[in-house]
Amino acid sequence: MAGSTALIARRSIRARIGRMIAIIVAVMAGVSFVSGSFVLADSLKRSIDDFISELVQNTDLIVRAERAFDQDDFQGDNAREPIPIEIADDLRGIPGVDVVEPDIQRNASVLNADGGVITTTGPQFGVVWDGESLAGVTLKEGRKPSGADELVLDKATADREGFEVGDTVGYVTDVNIYQATLVGTIGTADTDSLFGATIVALDLPTALEHYGANGRVDGINISVVDESELATVKAAVQSAVPGGIEVVDRDEIIEETQDSIGQFINIFQTGLLVFAFVTAFVAAFIINNVFQITIGQRLRELALLRAIGANTRQVKRLIATEALGIGVIGTAIGVFGGIAVARLIIALFNAIGAGFPPTGTVLLPRTIIVATIVGIGVTMLSVLIPARRAAKIPPVAAMQPQIGFQAMRSRRLTAGVTMALIGLAAFLVGMFVQPGGGLGLTLLGGGGVLLLFLGVTSLTATFAAPVTRWLGWPIAKMFKTPGKLARDNVARAPRRTSSSAAALMIGVALVSAAGVFASSLRNTLVATLDDVVQSDYIIQGANDGATFPTTVTDEIGALPEIEAAMPIQITRVEIDGDPRGFAAIDPAVATQLVDVDLRAGSIENLADNAIAVHTESADDLGLEVGDQLEAKFSNQEIRNVEVAAIFGDNSFGSNWFIGLDTLAEVTAAPDANVFGFAKLADGVTPEEGDEAVRGVMESFPQAKAQSNAEFIQEQEDQINQILLLITMLLAFAIIIAVLGISITLALGVFERTREIGLLRAVGMNRRQTRRSVRWEAVIVSVFGALIGIVLGTFLGVVLSLAVPDNVISELAFSPSIIVAILIGAVIAGLIAALYPSFKASNMDVLEAIATE
Amino acid sequence: MTTDLAPPAPTSDSVAAAGTVDAMKIYGIGDAEVRALDGVTVAFETGKFTAIMGPSGSGKSTLLHCLAGLDGLSSGATYIGDTYLASLDDKQLTELRRTKVGFVFQAFNLIPTLTADENIRLPMMLGGEDGDAAWIDQVITTVGLADRLHHRPNELSGGQQQRVAVARALASQPAIIFADEPTGNLDSTTGAEILDFMRRAVRELGQTIVMVTHDPNAASYADRVVFMADGKIDGELSEPTSDQIFERMKTLGR
Repeated sequence: MAGSTALIARRSIRARIGRMIAIIVAVMAGVSFVSGSFVLADSLKRSIDDFISELVQNTDLIVRAERAFDQDDFQGDNAREPIPIEIADDLRGIPGVDVVEPDIQRNASVLNADGGVITTTGPQFGVVWDGESLAGVTLKEGRKPSGADELVLDKATADREGFEVGDTVGYVTDVNIYQATLVGTIGTADTDSLFGATIVALDLPTALEHYGANGRVDGINISVVDESELATVKAAVQSAVPGGIEVVDRDEIIEETQDSIGQFINIFQTGLLVFAFVTAFVAAFIINNVFQITIGQRLRELALLRAIGANTRQVKRLIATEALGIGVIGTAIGVFGGIAVARLIIALFNAIGAGFPPTGTVLLPRTIIVATIVGIGVTMLSVLIPARRAAKIPPVAAMQPQIGFQAMRSRRLTAGVTMALIGLAAFLVGMFVQPGGGLGLTLLGGGGVLLLFLGVTSLTATFAAPVTRWLGWPIAKMFKTPGKLARDNVARAPRRTSSSAAALMIGVALVSAAGVFASSLRNTLVATLDDVVQSDYIIQGANDGATFPTTVTDEIGALPEIEAAMPIQITRVEIDGDPRGFAAIDPAVATQLVDVDLRAGSIENLADNAIAVHTESADDLGLEVGDQLEAKFSNQEIRNVEVAAIFGDNSFGSNWFIGLDTLAEVTAAPDANVFGFAKLADGVTPEEGDEAVRGVMESFPQAKAQSNAEFIQEQEDQINQILLLITMLLAFAIIIAVLGISITLALGVFERTREIGLLRAVGMNRRQTRRSVRWEAVIVSVFGALIGIVLGTFLGVVLSLAVPDNVISELAFSPSIIVAILIGAVIAGLIAALYPSFKASNMDVLEAIATE
Repeated sequence: MTTDLAPPAPTSDSVAAAGTVDAMKIYGIGDAEVRALDGVTVAFETGKFTAIMGPSGSGKSTLLHCLAGLDGLSSGATYIGDTYLASLDDKQLTELRRTKVGFVFQAFNLIPTLTADENIRLPMMLGGEDGDAAWIDQVITTVGLADRLHHRPNELSGGQQQRVAVARALASQPAIIFADEPTGNLDSTTGAEILDFMRRAVRELGQTIVMVTHDPNAASYADRVVFMADGKIDGELSEPTSDQIFERMKTLGR
């Protein structure tokens, strides 16, 4: 029995390979995206593992400060305090210890020929490297650095910037700008780069001075004489170091780094998988649609099978076997397509400055399994309903082709409304109530949106006819008969129109939602700068996220044109058992530069061992001005601090403030700013201010001062880039959607062969035929885009309302995004029409009329 | 018209291969009511070639569909051999069609993606059987298709396609073959070939065939012609000539 269905299924796939290719492409796209997400994450993990192992291969033990508090975020080691370098001397005498080597990793950037900081996509570090060191780096050219006038760079950076051994190279640290001779280049075993980072390496005395280490290092690397005695030596080292300092071995370091980076990669992977599943979901629509239509066209064939003795199970199995065959082909191509997709995603992210290091390709069995489940699963689920309908074909239809399916229209409306409402409710609960944390958000939010999409798709069939008639009106006016035919054909099969438009709707809805979110984010940012920030200049590191020395704000603050300048630093303080993100500010000038909506107390009182708290956090912990509480700082010191002020506006970024003076007492971490604000003095014009500030900034290439307008522009550019990235990641889904419209239309043209033949016979020319098919496609895609915009705008509004007010407090809509989407939809329709319109216009008229 | 809804049970030694008892088939309700079959009682003998004739709308195709278990009755009964179709569920009906019944339609008889040979064996394949190889070979030889077996339907002429369809109907050695205008799409020479072949299947192979047609010439190949008009049986002729049939057609329904 299975033999006959398998035979027919095989033959059927082969005979209809053209239309099956659309399904294969849809399956393939979904699968390759899923597989690509895994391949990318696994490859990154593998290369990082390899890199870390390489780096610590010679190190047996590392001595470093304990963490002040548990942090499960990936700030990881940055939060560790430096330790006194003298500890190294104490360790050298311990029996079994071979080499003892202090390790420093700080901010340092290389200057280009123009004296500006080179901008890179990867991080920039200053390290210490003394040649025959424990660090697992390899000298590529020249020799090790020795003395204050020498440095070594990673070879990749030297090559990219055109530096040769012997050249003078400038670099800038948190302390100052230095010039030194490039005496060599380094890399890891077989690469010229240290995982994409830009590395400045100095000898130890120079490093201590130029990085502003103040006699402190970030860790001490140790190698032992005999590795079999590692445990004994480890214990001896541990007992020799003061409290608050820990000793870890190589395996712990490797594991720890893998964990912290793995966590980051997992989040990235999850993000990609969301887009991958959106793509698979859209693919399911196309597969469902194509099967639905082809089954409709094979009605007589299936009825004939029933008439001569195939039972309903065999018919169902026939359709399922066909789907399975196609699913397997699509999946097989897709799994390996994932490797290409992984490369593509890396290129995409690098294009907006993500800085992925070069990686190999890792295809784990798990990837193949998941991709297969997705590919086969999506295909089989999509064919569930078409298969059941196929089995319901009455055998008598073999002789009476006009007996078609009995449509289940009455149930469709109820089911659509129910599904949409349940989806909507789940989405709203997920967004606003957020039960069950991240998982609840994903399940309710994501699942809700999914149901909402399905429900709306069912519903669109009920209003597709009138809406597309209305949409097609100008086209019918403009293009006379072909236009009118296009419009009528769209409205004629509302179910088909709605499901082929649905795929596009989903992609458009997600783009629109992201658009609303991004516009709201931008407007909130503008409002924050207007309301909260009273300054005229914002100072940041030249490279994204880089810190800059406090001297920048000191010198700007000293300018006569500037009324006040203030640096912002960040730290973590444990309050009531949890580490909290604190912003350190200068209480003397803070009120002149930022308005945080003071509710009680005064910011000026922040000076010593005092904190300011946002009203929400104060309410949570029951704090009032004047209260004393225990705070544990990053150097593990516990102090009593007093609540000096309670403020109401946290759009500035933090719920907790501390004075810069207090911060300086409780950390030995480098004194580096993340932000700075400066305000013009009375009567100084912006032009005069700009010139004065620029004068100061010239000696600080690692930082940049921007006017508020420039800052907003830069933020907006970044938001737009992310929006573009989201659109690119949705491109797969959108391409599949366009393909879906195209194949649906082509199948429709095939069904109407006789009708088109007739039209051609009575005098419609090829151009008119093409035109009518073309505008049919445009009406369908614009219809899908319109619903997508409405739905997506709604989703975007909900999303924007759901995030905390300090992120988004203002709703905004971008008409330009909506216009762009509509223009895109028209173009998508025109592209989708290329093949079907060609098919329609190239029919042999006589043959077409003779078609039964 | 009898009110007895339980007709005499057909026995295994009954000469009738299939038949109906007081068959009613009503489409629509009220004013729109159409009686496609209006109390038809008829039996078709085993080993005979019977033609059902009548003008369009006389109910002859409906009768065939109901007899073959493709469609259900509003009331009354149809049977094939000693089995009442009303007593069967869809699964059993399918099984019956596969094993006891053969079909030849006017057009679209074959699965376009399968070869002639595969199409002939399809009913057996669906049942997971090989069929009687010697018999199938004999059928194929008789139909004269041995050299076209591995062609697809679209590579065969209309007449060849119908011969494949007849071969398929014969291959599973069904109790009865129903043919619905089998020559309707063919020219007269090719049509004559098919009809001649069907008659030989009855005479030489002992097959039972019931054929619906509106062509007196086609009907003249049958052993017996049953006439229908307005959903009712309107007489019959035994071993008629085409002229006799033609004359009889003129007076149908009067």
